[in-house]
This record gives sequence, C-alpha cells and structure tokens, in this order.
Amino acid sequence: MVALSVRNLTVGIEGAPPLLSRISFDLAAGEHVGLIGESGSGKSLTAGALCGLLRPPIATSGGSILIEGTELLGRSPRAWRRARGADVFQIFQSPGTALTPGRRIGPQLAEAARRAGAEPERVVPPALDAVHLEQKVALQFPYQLSGGMKQRALIAMALILRPRVLIADEPTTGLDVLTENDVLSAINRMAAETQSAVLFISHDLRAVKKVADRVLVLHQGRLVEDCAATALAASGAEAARRLADAALTLQS
Amino acid sequence: MLRFLLIRMAVTLPTLLGMSFVAFAIVAIAPGDPVVMELRAMGVVPKPEDIAAIKAEYGLDRPFFVRYLDWLGHAVQLDFGVSVATGRSVAEEIALYLPATLALSLSALVGAISISLALGILAVTAGPVTAQGTRALTILLVSVPPFWLALLLIHAFVLNLGWARLVGDGSVSDLILPALTLSLGAGAALGRFVYERVTAERCEDYVRLAIAKGLGPMQILLGHIAPRIIGPLATAWANTLGGLLGGAVIVESIFGWPGLGQLILQAIGQRDFPLIQGYLVFMGLIFFATSLLADIVVILSDPQLRRRLSRD
Amino acid sequence: MTEAIPVRRFRIAPGRGGLTLGLVLLVLYALLSLAATPLSLPPPEEMDLLARLAPPSADHPLGTDHLGRDVLARIIAAIPVSLGAALAAMAAIMAIALPWGLVAGLAGGRVDMVLMRLADIVLAFPTLALALAVIGFLGASLEASIIGVVAAWWPSNARLVRALVLSARERDFVRAAYLAGASRLRVVIRHILPQILPPLAVVVSLETASVLLALSSLSFLGIGAQPPTPEWGAMLNEARPFFAQAPHMLLAPGIAVLLAVVAFNLIGEALRDLLDQRSPYRW
Repeated sequence: MVALSVRNLTVGIEGAPPLLSRISFDLAAGEHVGLIGESGSGKSLTAGALCGLLRPPIATSGGSILIEGTELLGRSPRAWRRARGADVFQIFQSPGTALTPGRRIGPQLAEAARRAGAEPERVVPPALDAVHLEQKVALQFPYQLSGGMKQRALIAMALILRPRVLIADEPTTGLDVLTENDVLSAINRMAAETQSAVLFISHDLRAVKKVADRVLVLHQGRLVEDCAATALAASGAEAARRLADAALTLQS
Repeated sequence: MLRFLLIRMAVTLPTLLGMSFVAFAIVAIAPGDPVVMELRAMGVVPKPEDIAAIKAEYGLDRPFFVRYLDWLGHAVQLDFGVSVATGRSVAEEIALYLPATLALSLSALVGAISISLALGILAVTAGPVTAQGTRALTILLVSVPPFWLALLLIHAFVLNLGWARLVGDGSVSDLILPALTLSLGAGAALGRFVYERVTAERCEDYVRLAIAKGLGPMQILLGHIAPRIIGPLATAWANTLGGLLGGAVIVESIFGWPGLGQLILQAIGQRDFPLIQGYLVFMGLIFFATSLLADIVVILSDPQLRRRLSRD
Repeated sequence: MTEAIPVRRFRIAPGRGGLTLGLVLLVLYALLSLAATPLSLPPPEEMDLLARLAPPSADHPLGTDHLGRDVLARIIAAIPVSLGAALAAMAAIMAIALPWGLVAGLAGGRVDMVLMRLADIVLAFPTLALALAVIGFLGASLEASIIGVVAAWWPSNARLVRALVLSARERDFVRAAYLAGASRLRVVIRHILPQILPPLAVVVSLETASVLLALSSLSFLGIGAQPPTPEWGAMLNEARPFFAQAPHMLLAPGIAVLLAVVAFNLIGEALRDLLDQRSPYRW
C-alpha cells in the first residue's frame, strides 16, 4: 500500500524559475527512503512542501501530494492542521531551537499525546524509554539537554504522534558520530514501532544507509535518481555518482 | 526568593538615589531664584535684605550638597515641605489627589491590556484582509491625540447623548469616559507591540514544530508563544502604566476627574516648586515599583534565569 | 532550511502603500505651509470680530474662531510651529541619544555601566510627568515644552541605540574588521553606523509621532505654545469653551494633528516591514 505519493510537485516563487520542478515519487507504508542531494538542491524545500510549512513568498505551484490516497495540496488551513501530526510529521535539522524553550519536555510530549488522542501518562514514559532517554528528562527544559538528547526527544514526539509519514530533515547534522548513531538507531526503533513510512533527508550517504535501503537523489531542484542505496555508485546520473564517491572518500 | 528581592532592591538603591537627586536638582538649577518667585507669588516685591533673610530662614544660603542631603532626609519621610499656593503640606495635597489618579491609571491599564490582546490576537489569527484592517485601525488609534479624542467623546456622550456628565464627584461611573480615552491609545500601542512580538516569534523554529504537530493558532499562541513573550509584555505593561500616569494629567483636566492632573497644572501655573517636586518623586516611585514588579515577572518567566536564581 | 532563497525580483511589500501614503501626507503639509498665499486666505492673526465662531463658508473654508480668525489660515500657519517643534525635539533627542548610545555600546565595561545607569535614572520617571516637572521649573512656553520632552525622551532612545550597536558589533564582518586591524573610528563609520541607521530610521519615525502627540498635548494643556501663536494643540485649547457652539473649531485642528501623527507612524511601520522581510510560518 502506498503511504505517500508525490506527483509533479513544483515549488517556487511566483514570477521566478521554480526551485523544485515536477518531483514525483512514492513511499510504501512502512518503507524507509533516503532523500539526498547537495546543499541547495531542494531537500528542505521538499520537506517543507510535504508538511505545508513553506514560507511566503515561496509556495507550491503545482502537482499533488497524496497521503493514503487523500490529496493535501489546495486544502484549507484547517484541513492541513488535521493532517499535520497524524498523517505527516517532521523532525527538523536544528534540534537546538526546535523545542519550545520555556516549557518542560514532559508537557511538550504530553501535548503531542493529546493531539494523537492518547493518554499522556500511558504513552510518554515508554516513548522516552524507546529513545533511551531517562524519565527525568520529562521534568527538564530544552536548554538543559544536549543536542542529541533534544533530537531524541523530538523522535519520542514522533513516536507518540504515530504519523503515517515521518520526514526527518537532516536530523544528525551538527552531532558527533556517537550521538549520530544514537539518534539513527532511535529513528529505526521509532519507525519499527509505529510502522510509519520514513523520508530521511541528508547530504550524508553514510547516515542515509543506516536508515534507508532506497535513495532518491535531488539535483538543482530535480529528482535525478531513484534506486537502491547500494546501486548509487553505478547510477546513470552524475550527481548521484558524485555523492556516492564522496561518501566512499570519507569512509576510507 | 526573598533574598532575591532584597538583592534586587539593593541594586536599585543607586537609581533611587539618582532619581531623588534629579528631582532635587531640577529646582536647584531652574532659572529664576525660587525665593524671589515665592515672594512674588505672595505679592511682595522683595528687597535684597529680605531675600537674604528668607534664604537664611529656608537654609538656601548653604552649599548645594548640604541642601540636597537635608532635602533627602526629609524626603525619605515623605516630607516635601509646604505647597506655596495652598499652604498645606505637599504630602497631604498629593495624598488627597493621588488615589483618583491611580484609580484612573490602573483602570485604563486594564482596559489597554484587554484592547491590546484583542487587537494583537485578531491581527495574527485573522485572514489577510481582516489582519490588514486591524493593523490600520491600530495605527489610527495610536495616532489619535488623547485630548482630542476626549473632546470628541464628550461631544458624543455628554452633549449629544447625555449618557455621562462632565463635572463628576469621582464616582465609578464618572471614571468610564476618561479611562476609555486613556486606554484606547495605550491599548493600540500595546496591541502593536503584541503583534510585533508574536510575528517575530512566529518566524522561530519552535513555532514550526508546534505547527508540524498539528496544533491550531490559539493552542500555539497560548501554549508556546505566550510563555516566551510574557516577560517582554510585563515590561511593556509597566511602561504603559508610566505613560498612563503621565497621560492622566491631560484627560483629568478635560473630564474634571479629581486627580493629580488638576493639581499639577495649577502648580505649574503658580510655580509651586515643592508641589511639583513632590509630584515628580511620587510618580517616579510608583513607576519604579511597577518596573520592579515587571522585572520579577521577566525573571520568573524564563526557566534559565529562574534556575540560576534558585541555585544562588 | 539550508536552501538559499534567491533574491526576489519584485514583491509587493505589505507596507509599501503605507509608506507612500505617509510620505504624501508629509509632502502635502510641506507644500501647504510653503504655498499658503495662493489660497488667498486672510492672515492668521487677522481678527474679524463681526464673524466670530462662523461655520465654514466660501470666505472661511474651515470657519472662524472665537476672535473671528480664519481657522484654515491658522492651521496652515501652525504647520511650521507644530511640526517644526516636533522635528526640533526629535533632532535634539537624537543629538543626545546617538552619541550616548554609541559610546556606551562601543566602550563597554565601566563607561557603559555609568552611562546606562544615568539613563536609567531619568528613565525611572514617567515620561510625561518628568516633562511636566521640567516645564514647571522653566515656566510654560513652547521652548520649555520642547526641553521637557527632550529631557524625558532621550534615555529610552539612548538605550535603543546602544542595543543596536551591541547587536551590530556581534556581526562577523565587524569582528573581522576589528581583527584585521581597522581603527575603531573606521569600524564605527564604515561598519557599525550603516548597520544601525535603517532600524534607527524606524525608531526616529515612530518616536517623532509620539513626540508630536506629546508636544501638542502640552500645548493643549496651556503649558506649551502660548496664544496667540498658531499651534494645533493650543488652537484646540482655545476652542474648548466654544465647543458646543462651534464644533468646527474642534474638528479641524484635531484632524491636522491626527494626520501628521498618522503619517509618521505609517512611515515607521512601513520601514519596519521593509527591513524585516522574514515571513512567519503559516498556521
């Protein structure tokens, strides 16, 4: 079954050449797919468009986004609000500023639980366990946590919300290698438990391979490759081969 | 907490001292000899030896700082001398009129806060057309001269409709029009502040996460943005009260509200220096106390500051 | 988002209409004050005791006041007084606040502490109360009301300048200029001033609006501009006793103040919109 189906998605500023042009791909239910590309290739824009979080004057100018067969584009703000969190949720690349600074982690997770129609007392503690955070974290403020802990708190939020599609936008950028591993395994545990389809966005192929088996490659606003992660080095698209080479150079 | 309060008070002592010095110095450096003016006010054309005698009597022949310390010594006991115009003590005069001014300023503050929240929230949650309209209305209200608004309101409600009266006795119903006049402009200015702060916060990442969770505008405003802006808002409220205390003078004189406004305008006309000095000190102290309260709210609303506080 | 947002070629900024409207209003005031004579109005002091409190007519487009003076002529004659006083006050405020804030922000340390403490002391009084006290000791006049307003208004502006300087100093290229050995004065003139001027323009415009309101309020209370000087606030003060008989005396000067204040507020808000083009996330 198809969880997310994107067809001819075009994003840009009115009167200017599009920043993303005619992107099409599918995510099966529970499938993990990587979206890679250089800086400026349009990865975060794709993520923003899928969650309806583009900022004016940037806007979606065409195409369709179907989640389990329901069209999201062109719907009212109210309908978008219903879809967000339940159908599609996003973990952002800057955990440092993503959480509300003046509130403790517990209430922020509890709010997600209520949004998902669950009882906070029943879902928040196991969610913290699942991402290997101590229970006392619920009583702390974001500034008291490290970057990796904050990102795991966001993953716990995703775990509670149980969206059909989860978008993780560069969730490991700026984290050291050990912390990166913690975060990636937390994402895998979360995905296994919620059966969410995951779109994992990164410029780093190594990180993508730990989560996804299939990768999409963006280059200058166009989707240039859609293949197995292992087949990237043999891709017909030059941008894809370059990313594979870069990852190889870093590993050796 | 108590220790924090005491420390906070101790830190403000130099400011208080500086305030008292400003209030004192304004008289001391004012052009024209206050003694001559006092005599003139009494209808006496003074001779040089009279002036010297009176100066000696009031201790005005002593050096500046000695006089300041002497004045300060009395001021801390709320003794600002005797009003030249009425012959009553300044503290008595002020105590007589201050409650009415405070009642007016505080009710106008409540009105202004309500208006500001309504305007600000409407401007950030409504559709683009309503939002622009709200902003335009806000600019208009900020720009209306309060004294002119007062005259218009009197024209409408007192002369034409007869719903209110002009020369009241200070009862609550007489408070409505002056408080409304004061709160409209102040409320619009505060509303503009609310709009700006909320708009700035809406560009932040944490709001994006709240939106991604599927929360609605009111949930985001109350649950996420409000805790962030309550500190700056409290400061703005304190500043607004300062503006209202001063602005009360204008409105009181138009509506005949028996507050300090009438008193101070008379005092300025009669160059009643002790009274003006006392007025300045009292207004300064009230405003000062309000700002202190706002500072405490700022600290309590920031978890990082709060924690540092409890650790100390 | 990591994506570079391309430069927008054109975009209708929300504040642009407001900026135009505000500037048009100010230009209109300027033109009126320069070109009052072609309107063939009587001189603003000329009394016509036979036509006292006359409603608007062909001879007197906005009617006459209690001394039979032409209201329109007086409103136009008041433009340089009312607007001039506000602009003079604002210039004096910035003349104190700009160096004060610059020095405090750049020097830092003890100098900063002392300068800000001094500003805080003045700031601790309600502005209008302090202005009243200053006027009380100087004696009521337009000059005294300007001095009073300047005395009460400069510290908040000095604080603002300092905050702008501090944030400008934190910018990478300013630090780089320091590290590259540029002289202090050069850094200030080449790097810091250009950065703080645009936000300062917003502040100046909005503050001019509030100063204009304060000065006309003081004149209305009879402790600013004194009769027979034509000044909008003072005209309203003179109109008060006749307010039931001759409402036209009340409307016109009030609208003159209102539009002038609106103009400065519109310009300030529009400039701010133009400077801050971050757009909020839509919910």
